[in-house]
Amino acid sequence: MRAMIIDDSRAMRSILRRIVSGLDFETSEAEHGQDALDQMNAGVVPDICLVDWNMPVMDGYTFITRVRDNPDWRDVTLMMVTTESEQRNIVRALAAGAHEYVIKPFTPDAIVDKLALLGLLQPDAVLGGGVPA
Amino acid sequence: MNVLTFFDTDAGAAEAPSVDDVQAVTEDVWLSLLGEQEVLVPRLVPPGTPFDALGVWSAVASISGGWQGVVTIELADSVARPVTAHMLDIPAGTDATDSDVADAVGELVNMIGGNIKSLMPGPSALSLPSVAAGRAVFASDLVEACRVDISWRGEPVRVCIHVPH
Amino acid sequence: MTAPSAFASVSALVRRETSMVYDEGKEYLVEARLNPLAQAKGLDLEQYVARLAFDADERRKVIDALTINETSWFRDHSPYQAFTDSMLPPLLESRSMTRRLRIWSAACSSGQEAYSIAMLLDQHLPAGWEYEIVATDISTQMLDRVRAGRYSQVEVNRGLPATSLVRYFTRVGREWEIAERLRERITVRHMNLAAPYPALGAFDVIWLRNVLIYFDATTKADILRRMLPMLAGDGFLLLGSSETTLDMPPDLTASWRRDQIGRVPAYRRASAMTLSRTGA
Repeated sequence: MRAMIIDDSRAMRSILRRIVSGLDFETSEAEHGQDALDQMNAGVVPDICLVDWNMPVMDGYTFITRVRDNPDWRDVTLMMVTTESEQRNIVRALAAGAHEYVIKPFTPDAIVDKLALLGLLQPDAVLGGGVPA
Repeated sequence: MNVLTFFDTDAGAAEAPSVDDVQAVTEDVWLSLLGEQEVLVPRLVPPGTPFDALGVWSAVASISGGWQGVVTIELADSVARPVTAHMLDIPAGTDATDSDVADAVGELVNMIGGNIKSLMPGPSALSLPSVAAGRAVFASDLVEACRVDISWRGEPVRVCIHVPH
Repeated sequence: MTAPSAFASVSALVRRETSMVYDEGKEYLVEARLNPLAQAKGLDLEQYVARLAFDADERRKVIDALTINETSWFRDHSPYQAFTDSMLPPLLESRSMTRRLRIWSAACSSGQEAYSIAMLLDQHLPAGWEYEIVATDISTQMLDRVRAGRYSQVEVNRGLPATSLVRYFTRVGREWEIAERLRERITVRHMNLAAPYPALGAFDVIWLRNVLIYFDATTKADILRRMLPMLAGDGFLLLGSSETTLDMPPDLTASWRRDQIGRVPAYRRASAMTLSRTGA
């Protein structure tokens, strides 16, 4: 499984990278929505994108609408990971095509639980709750 | 320099988040990043006292729309560096660079700011963070509406909310 | 760190009051949970533990603090899948006259299990059906939380599908409150699984997940024996993924039949005759 981590903060990308690599995902990173689209257009198409909302150049909401507009990317799972936590924003993101939504701040288990929910984890990883330190 | 005078909230004051809310949001951020071992402890600071650490980092995110306000975090360098090292998984013995700290502290104010925004009337937008080495400076048309002083490993951290006059 | 004698005395207290076993190696957890209580009294940890000997109120708080489990929504996922796919259909058929289901969430903690089941029943029960979920726990503090049905941001992040979050919860300040129509289906009861059981009636499905691991072998066997009359003849008992009836005394392995549903073992009453063996 490949995960693309899209967040303008290196620190947040580092945190997410450690969590998902601990679950045996290969990871790639993008600094904003446009960066992620460019990489995907160049052939780096992940199984799941972990997407921040507030980013420079292109925000995460715009990014998910762009991904959903492209039928070639319909298999890409989209999970928002953002501090945006109003109910209306969660509804908006889901309506635009996000599959899941994690609110920052989160604990590593929150990411593990959601990946399990999306069927992207091996059963053993789910049962063991294998959270990297 | 912090050029503010302490704002005494009264019934007619602009709507502001409660100290409890700001403190809880900040604690959640710390807990999620650093775990249960080293928690934030409340710190008694008289109103109007400038943030008093030697080396200081500050980060600001503003909220605009249904509610207007500015969320600021100030931290002692001795807090900012280990927190940054933890977030970026920098090995012990290696120092976090200033650019690392700016990135990590920016993410702290982003998380706190987004959660504060969700507690206030909306819809509003959260700005990208801006980070400075040094104390936060506020425009004279802003007043402090809420302030939380805490410490981590004995070193000070302050989160405050400013609203337009 | 906690002094070994302080840890030993707290662990003995928890064991005496709840039969739950806190082994060595859990010192850190005990310390993390008790420090805030000690601080609230202005004492250090050892002074606080010494005070427990003669302060029943504080003992109650310690029990509460130490019996809280980290819980997530739809924990482990597969039991919930098995519940909707394989347990509900036969129950819907056999209960078509009464159109009523009763579920027990035993050791419900802060209620995520009970409300996860409620969300599933809300989606999967045909119109005209009723259901009741009885949620029991030893911690009165936890039962208050279940009644309130309010969860922090950190809690709603744990395993709750975002679609369910926006469908069943409303933001109230920093917390998220579960819908009234689900809350009113939950009956909350105070109960120690290791003590005599109050009359709760029989249940169609009993969720006893990740609880038995905290008890010693004798108490475990005793609990499983007393579960028999609590379960309808065609009901299902669910244990945690690391728990089983297989290593139990012969009377229990004979009383419980293990049915594998996908990856989930469900326990069924081997025959209604076992009722007479429980002597409860």
